[in-house]
Formats: sequence, structure tokens, C-alpha cells
Amino acid sequence: MRAVVVGAGFAGSLIAKVLGDNGFRVIVLEAGAETGHDEAVRAFRTALVKTPLAPYRRTVAAPSSDYLINTGPFAYASPYLRANGGTGSVWVGITPRMHPEDFRTADLGRGRNWPIGYDDLEPYYRAAEWEIGVAADADEQRQHVPVAGGYVYPMHALPRTYLDHVVASVVDGASIDGHELLVTGTPQARNGVPTTGYRPDGNRCAGFASCVPVCPENAKYTPHRTQKRWSPTVELRTRCVANRVHADEFGRVTKVSYQRYEDDTTGRHTRHEVEADVVVLAAHAIENAKLLLLSGLANSSDQVGRNLMDHPALLTWALMPHPVGPFRGPGSTTSIEAFRAGGERGTRAPFRIEIGNWGWGWPAGSPDTDTAEFVAAGLRGRALRQAVADRVGRQFTLQFEIEQEADPANRVTLATECDALGNPRPSVHYDLSGYVKDGLLAAKRVSDRLFELLGAEDHTSYKPDDERYFEHDGEPLRYWGAGHGGGTHVMGSSPRDSVVDQWQRCWDHPNLYAVGCGSMPSLGTSNPSLTMAALALRTADHLVSRRAGLLAEPAGSRPPPR
Amino acid sequence: MDAFVELSAELTGFSAEELRSTGLVEQYAVLARDASPAEIIQLWYTGVWRGVVPSARAYAEGLAWKAVGVAAPGTAGPGFGSWERRPRSSAG
Repeated sequence: MRAVVVGAGFAGSLIAKVLGDNGFRVIVLEAGAETGHDEAVRAFRTALVKTPLAPYRRTVAAPSSDYLINTGPFAYASPYLRANGGTGSVWVGITPRMHPEDFRTADLGRGRNWPIGYDDLEPYYRAAEWEIGVAADADEQRQHVPVAGGYVYPMHALPRTYLDHVVASVVDGASIDGHELLVTGTPQARNGVPTTGYRPDGNRCAGFASCVPVCPENAKYTPHRTQKRWSPTVELRTRCVANRVHADEFGRVTKVSYQRYEDDTTGRHTRHEVEADVVVLAAHAIENAKLLLLSGLANSSDQVGRNLMDHPALLTWALMPHPVGPFRGPGSTTSIEAFRAGGERGTRAPFRIEIGNWGWGWPAGSPDTDTAEFVAAGLRGRALRQAVADRVGRQFTLQFEIEQEADPANRVTLATECDALGNPRPSVHYDLSGYVKDGLLAAKRVSDRLFELLGAEDHTSYKPDDERYFEHDGEPLRYWGAGHGGGTHVMGSSPRDSVVDQWQRCWDHPNLYAVGCGSMPSLGTSNPSLTMAALALRTADHLVSRRAGLLAEPAGSRPPPR
Repeated sequence: MDAFVELSAELTGFSAEELRSTGLVEQYAVLARDASPAEIIQLWYTGVWRGVVPSARAYAEGLAWKAVGVAAPGTAGPGFGSWERRPRSSAG
């Protein structure tokens, strides 16, 4: 059985592993290059602006998200990385499960329902948590999501930050608008103390405080870890940009065309093809949609590229009354889960609140900006040193992840402009609905209340000349891209209005799969990588169990899903 | 060299000894020959010289981090769980 996987990121690396372990011959085509770990750490330290993609080798032939063309009223602001390991090299490593409600967003809020429910995915959540290596406490997680009885995470919950303890000591048990507050540990894909039967891969988290974009200690999971465990039947080909998937007259996919380059600085390339019995697209939500559109496949529903969603994140930032020791340890180790579910999602987007441990680094560029401010104000010597210590030492940020519903008008199409290989660049039309804006505004009001409870000095400010600024109900607001793109090959229960079925198989092609966050009909309010991993493992199991059918089955012959 | 260290100490609020321990005095003295006081402070505090980070050490030794009492992110691992401890009063 010959499988071609397009994309050596999170989902592709996981699926390639299961297929390889089960005797498939797998070729993984990765558009980007490889960055050595030490090279990435070095590049991070010397980067002037420490953006998420800064440490990684970039190529002219396979640009990352900066080659997107925005055409909508709002900018799609989330970065993604085309490189071996994909955006899974950059990610923060936070792995909450989706809330059971999140699978029924059309019924309870806005957007679309999933064709499967939380219970269908639960065993795969457990499998993904063990494959990735997640540190969490099952009893603590049961306070807001169902976790199977007797289940043990592979590692104990990571210690909380000092900041978390300070926040919890004030807000635990308090209420805002009828929501009882509880600071809850966030599951983390970074190495802590193992429970029985788990052997961590890599070192224990030592608190380097640079999870995004690179963990010098290799304590954070990245797809490279799964790649190390690939069987010899899995072959990785980097610098290979898939630019067309071919199907025969019956809809069966036969081969993939790709462009191979060696020089990272030009578009010079050679053309190749590889035949396959099954093709798995795992190139990121936007790149999967681009490739399907380029190939003219899987789009009888007209939904390819549509329903692009993310988490528009609201950041608020303040000073605690006393030093809290920011910039030590992981980016966020706890959250407040009280606003993820419930009746209010009928009228405004729900959200999840992360307690951000890296000062004002993300929203305001601290501590460089604080230093510049004090220097401009004339501070010198010990007064300057004291001012920086006092300001930065008390900083914290709240990060609200707002659900964005599937909306077919938010979409990826092919631009007329081409990249260096001559392929159309992705064009994105992106907007925020009233539902999302109401959620952002509700989040801001909750933030105001939390700061009040904490006695924190609010320094949040959104100005008209800031990027992604807008006003809603007369209130200034702003959003940030969380890097959680999804929805572009949406999963559903009917070929009429969805691109893939519950197994992430394209309705129109019996041996073509599009996997990743692009399949998700809703993102809920949780960072989506764990759910992507659970879906990938579920699809991999399905592929292994149907391998005979993959060779024989024509399009349209499958029974309808339940 | 001593004049540059003295000037830097006066501007930054860090002692000559603290500045020397960064290992950057010689590099910075050359770079900052014609620099304004604000530029000298920026170089020491943030490790940025006119839009460039001259070395990984310049980033790691940034005085803004030292003022707060933490390592520059990605340069040192203070140890598993160290983030749970009450921060030491760090104004020096």
C-alpha cells in the first residue's frame, strides 16, 4: 500500500507514523526546509523581533503565511510555518480538550455541528495525550470536561506559576455575571513528572520561557518527536511542494505532482510525480484548501476554502500590586474555564481565559518598550533600573480565546498573483461577525471585572492606529491572531454541504483525505492542536482498518455515515 | 575603556563590576563610540544596536531582564517548577 502524505507537521507526522507501523509505504512531501534545533535556538536569540516564525529557515519557493493576500474587511492575522514540523514546531504546547458543547455549536450557538460528538473522540483524546505526552491531572480536568473514569495522563500536572497562585487566591469562588470562577490547570504538552508507565522523550521543562517559538530544552512536544519514531517504511522528502493531486475519471486519486527545489533563495525547481493508493493532505488549513482548489478536487459542495475560522484573541494587560515574577516558566499554566459553555453562547461567542505568564511581551513588547518609555522620560541610572524592575516585575496578561463560528463567506481562494514556483498565492477574505464582536466585548468586560477583583492597575489600551483595531457598540477593541486556522475543508454528515466525512475522507474521492484543523466544523474555545491530533489518530486507525477497501472501492459506493 | 564603563554604569544603574561580568564591555565600547546616552542605555538594556542584535550574548545579557531578576527568555532554564516560587525582590 503506497500512501503519500502532504505536509510533515502535526497531523501528517502522526498519520505517517501509524501507517508506517502498519506496513504502508509512506512518502511524506514537505514543502519547506529543515531547521536544526541548535540553529533555531541561535536564530531566536539574535532575532531583532522575536516573532513566532523568526527562528526557522524560510525559503523563497515555499513561503509561509506572509505570502497570504488579505482582501476582506479584517486581516487574517495568524501565522503558519511551512517547514519540517510545520507550525507544530512553533506552537505554545497547550492542549485542552474541546468542551462537549463545542461539537453542537449550530444547536447551541452559531456555526456548524460536528458529525461526531465528544464521546466518539474521547478515546482518541486519550491516545493523542499519550502519543504527544501531556501533563495534566484528570480530576482537575473533570471539573470542566468529561474525562474517562480511571484515566491517568502520562505526566502529572505541571507546577503552576507564582502568578497563578496569586490570581487563584483572589478569584477562586468569586463570581462574575453568575459564573463561578476557578483557576484551573491547563494541560501541557511539555515534559514534567511522568506517571506510571510513561517514559518522557526529551528533558523535563526547565523554564526557559520561550515555548513560542522554540524550546531550547526540547521539553515541548513537536512533530519531530513523532518523526524520530517513524518506521523505516516512512520516507520524508523536504523542499518538495505538492502542487497538484490527480484523480481518474471515477474520482480515484492516482498521483501527486510536486516541485522540488534545492536553493532556498530562488524559485528554481524540478518537476516530479509520485503515484499513490491513498493521499493524505496535511499541509495546514489554508494550504490544504489551496491545493484542493489548484487540483480542482473535492469541491462538489462548493465548501473548499470556506468557513475559515480562528480564535480572534483579545489581550488585556495590567500590573499586579506586588511583583509576580513574569517571564519564568511556560507561557500559561492555568486558565479560567467558566465562560466556555452555557446559555450565553446562544447570543455571543464563548471564550476561554488564559492567564499569561510572560508579562506584556505579547501585547506590548515588554521589557524593551518599558525601557524605551522610561529612557524617553529622562530616567537614568538607578532610577531607570528601579522603574524597569518595578514595572516589568508586576506585569501580567489575560488572553481571551474567542470562538469564531464557521461562516462560508470567510474563505480562502486562489489569488491571481503567483509565488516563485508559479503557483497561485492564497487569498483570504476574513471578517468578524457581530456574534464574535459581542464575544470580544463581553470578554473585555469580564477582564475589567477581573482586574478590579485583583486590585490590578489596568494598562490595556487599543488605539485607532493599532493594527486590527475596531470599535463595537462604541467601545474600542482589538484582536490578535492565535494561529488556530481551521474549517477550510469542513467535516459534515452530507456531501452536499461538507468537504470531508467524519473520517476526514473527501466525499468526492474514496482515497483522498484532508486532515487537520481544516476539517473542524467548530473550534470551540480550546487551542485546537490536541483535537487535530485526536482526529488524525482516528483517521489513521480508519485507514489501517480499511486498507483493502482503499484499493478497490470506487467513489460513491460507501454507505452514508451515521 | 574605563571611561566607557564608568559612563555606562552611571547611565544604567548597574555597577562597573556588573557590567564587566556580561563580557560585553569591549564589544560595546567599540560599537557605541559615537552613541548618545539613550543609545548606550538601549544597547545595554535590550541588546539592540541600531536595529540589530549584535550577538546572542548581547540578548542574553540584556540589563532589562537583570533588573527584573529573570533570565532573558530562551537563554537559561532556572529549573523545573522554579516558576512557582515567590520572585525575589530584584531591584538591586
